[in-house]
This record gives sequence, C-alpha cells and structure tokens, in this order.
Amino acid sequence: MKKKPFVMLIVLLLAAAMLAACGDDKDEKKDEAETETPQIETGTLEFYANGEDFVRQGFVSKDGWNLSFDQLYITLTDIKAYQTDPPYDAESGGELQANVTVGIEGTHTVDLAAGDADADPILIGTAADAPVGHYNALSWRMVQAPEGEAAGYTLLLIGTAEKDGESIAFTIKLENEYEYVCGEYVGDERKGFVEADATADAEMTFHFDHIFGDADTPPDDSLNTGALGFDPLAALAEDGVLDVDMAGLETALSADDYQMLVDILPTLGHVGEGHCHEVQTG
Amino acid sequence: MRRIIILLLLLVIALGSAGAVWAHGVKITYTVTFSPTIAIEAAYDTGEPMANAQVIVYAPDDPKTPWLTGECDDDGRFSFSPDPSKPGTWEIQVRQAGHGEWLKIPLDEEMMQSGQGVVTEGGDEGFSTAQIVLMSACVIWGFVGTALFFQSRRPPAQEPGEAA
Repeated sequence: MKKKPFVMLIVLLLAAAMLAACGDDKDEKKDEAETETPQIETGTLEFYANGEDFVRQGFVSKDGWNLSFDQLYITLTDIKAYQTDPPYDAESGGELQANVTVGIEGTHTVDLAAGDADADPILIGTAADAPVGHYNALSWRMVQAPEGEAAGYTLLLIGTAEKDGESIAFTIKLENEYEYVCGEYVGDERKGFVEADATADAEMTFHFDHIFGDADTPPDDSLNTGALGFDPLAALAEDGVLDVDMAGLETALSADDYQMLVDILPTLGHVGEGHCHEVQTG
Repeated sequence: MRRIIILLLLLVIALGSAGAVWAHGVKITYTVTFSPTIAIEAAYDTGEPMANAQVIVYAPDDPKTPWLTGECDDDGRFSFSPDPSKPGTWEIQVRQAGHGEWLKIPLDEEMMQSGQGVVTEGGDEGFSTAQIVLMSACVIWGFVGTALFFQSRRPPAQEPGEAA
C-alpha cells in the first residue's frame, strides 16, 4: 500500500513533464521564428501610446462630470509587434503565431495627457531594422512605474472634475498590472506596414471612457452601463480634493462599484478600436 | 482518493478563473457568403446587430488603400461584389462606436471565376487559456486514473520469508 503514493507521484511527474514538453515545443517554435528571420530588407517601426482625445481634450462622464486631465501617467514594458499568420484573433485569445517579432527594450512611463488638445500620440520607442512586412499584432504589459512621480502605480490620473459649480481636484492612483495581446489596429488608417528604408507606426490605445462613461454615448449603451462614472468617486472627495489609491477605493467604494472598477481596468488596452486579449498577471 | 479529486477540481476552478478577461464583453460575429457577392452580417455577442457600422474593404493587391467604404444596414448587413481580377485575401474592417473587428476572406481564382458558394463564419479559433487548463487537467487525471486501475489489479506483494 505504501507504493501507491510513490506510483501516483511518478505518474504526475510524467504527465507534468509531457505537458511541459508541449510548452517547450511552442517556445522553441517561437524562438525559431524569431531567429530564422532571413536577411531581408528592413525599415523602422515606431511604437506609440494614445489616450485619445478623451485624455488630451477632456470629456463629460456619463453622469455629467466635466473631466480634464493635467497628467495621466501610464507605464508600459515588454512592448512587441508581430507579423502573424494566421492573423491573431484577440476575440478567441488563442496562440499568437508570429513569423517575425520586433520590440523595444525597457520600461517606459509616459504622460498620455502631454501636449495640447491636438497633440499627437506619445512616441514610446523605435525598433530600427524591423524586417519589412505587416505587423498585424501587438503585445505589451502595463506595470507599476519603477520610479518618478508615478512610482508604484500602473496608472496615475491627475486632473479636475467639474459639475454644477462643484470642482474636485482628483489624483487617482491604480496599481493593478495587466498584460495585453492584440490583433491588428482598427481605425481609419491601417498601421504596421513596414517598407524598406521607411518608417511605419504601431499604436497602443487606451480607452478611459470605459472607466467614466461618455455623455455623448446613449445611456443604455454597454459602454455606459458598464462604466463606473465619476459620481462614486466624487462622493469620496473631501474639501474638493480626491486623492485615492486602489486600497482606498476598495475601502471607500461600495463592493459593487469597486468590483466594477476592477472589471473595467483590464478592458482599457486596445489597438485603435480593436479589442485586446488581457491575460491576468497579478 | 477523495482528496485527490477535490484537489484537482479546485485546481481546475482556480486556474480557470484566472484565465482570459474580455475587453468590454463584446464579440463580433460574421456570416460571409460568396455567390458571387460577399455578404456580411455583423453583430455583437449579445446578438444585437451592428446597425449602420462603418465598413472599409481592402483589395488583395493594395492592402493600404480602401477599395470600398460603406455602412451596414439597420440589421448589420453589408454586401459587395469583389473585383474578379483580384484573387487573394480580401480584408474587411467593421467598426462602430469604439468596437471593431477585421474579417479576412481568401478568394482564389477558381472561386472568383466560378462564383460558387463558399461560406465562412467568423468566430473562435484555437483554444482559450481556460480551455487549455481544463484539457491539461483532464490529461493528468487520465494518467492518474490509468495508474490507479493497474495498481488495483496488481497481485498483493509477498511477505518476506514467505515460500514461493
């Protein structure tokens, strides 16, 4: 009878080894794809982060708060672009099959509200010598800033909310980290076509109307019905000031409102209007 | 034995719940027919049609320049006739109010000339993280079950000193 646990252990180890081998095989294939890039023509791929006009110009939340942002810091790392075939489908979230992968090194904290109301998206970095072709998938991680004003936070929203003569100076600090895997950019112009000795761009887009809702969208639209709005946050302000982090929000918000916020945050990452697959990392 | 079953079930539940999270809970589905026009039906995963959604069509020979633009009707339908002289993958972008998706339709020369029916449906491809975890757990359980089966059939070991 004493042999039974031993046999079970052996069997479990064999099964785990087999599954691990399958995983290794995929990794090897990915590595091969990355290293087998033939000597072909190259161009430059620029990586941008975009908080859209919502952040640059401000907007009215679903519950009537006029929101403007002085700074909106976001920290991104492991930023990569892929030439995938078949095209990666973020809706199904299956395995991303890349023929070519390029990326930029380092962890980058940027202010999505930088510049005037008509400012361009924020340039994060550049991949020189990117093999020509169509980079039709992107991935990145949103992580806590290692240093600076936003240190310890993935997102730091600083701005003003105004409604019916009331003004609230808000500082909202969010720590949750996320990993996004996305397909092709969806928008007016296609992105990611790298041609020889030319420059193309790839864009990580962040939809902050998902948190606050948008007064310009019908109230019964899923965007608004699934958004927190600003009223629950305004209720936490004292003397016109709101300075809160996730722990504070968990304590002060109702359980339903806090859960709604937790559910919304993974949906911020997009490629234009194209959804991303978010893999919970923490 | 019961402990092992409970542990495996907890493992599956825990890992499954840590799987994919969907942005905004929206999924766009399509039905495409070729007869010889391409007809698209775009809807959210709730079944609500993407009424008046913007459509941009790119031909295979110039994927950067729109070949055709238009709008879905109130039922989320849109159709067009591809240029028969341009076989290859036709790419169609459908988007509305912050939600968008691509549809890629490979059409070879034979299809273009014959116009015979090809039906493609957009949807899931591959497996989700939760599905993979569940399948992995099933494989492990299969190994364990097999081992237990053979273990139960093994004759009892002889005691030391017992005659053969």
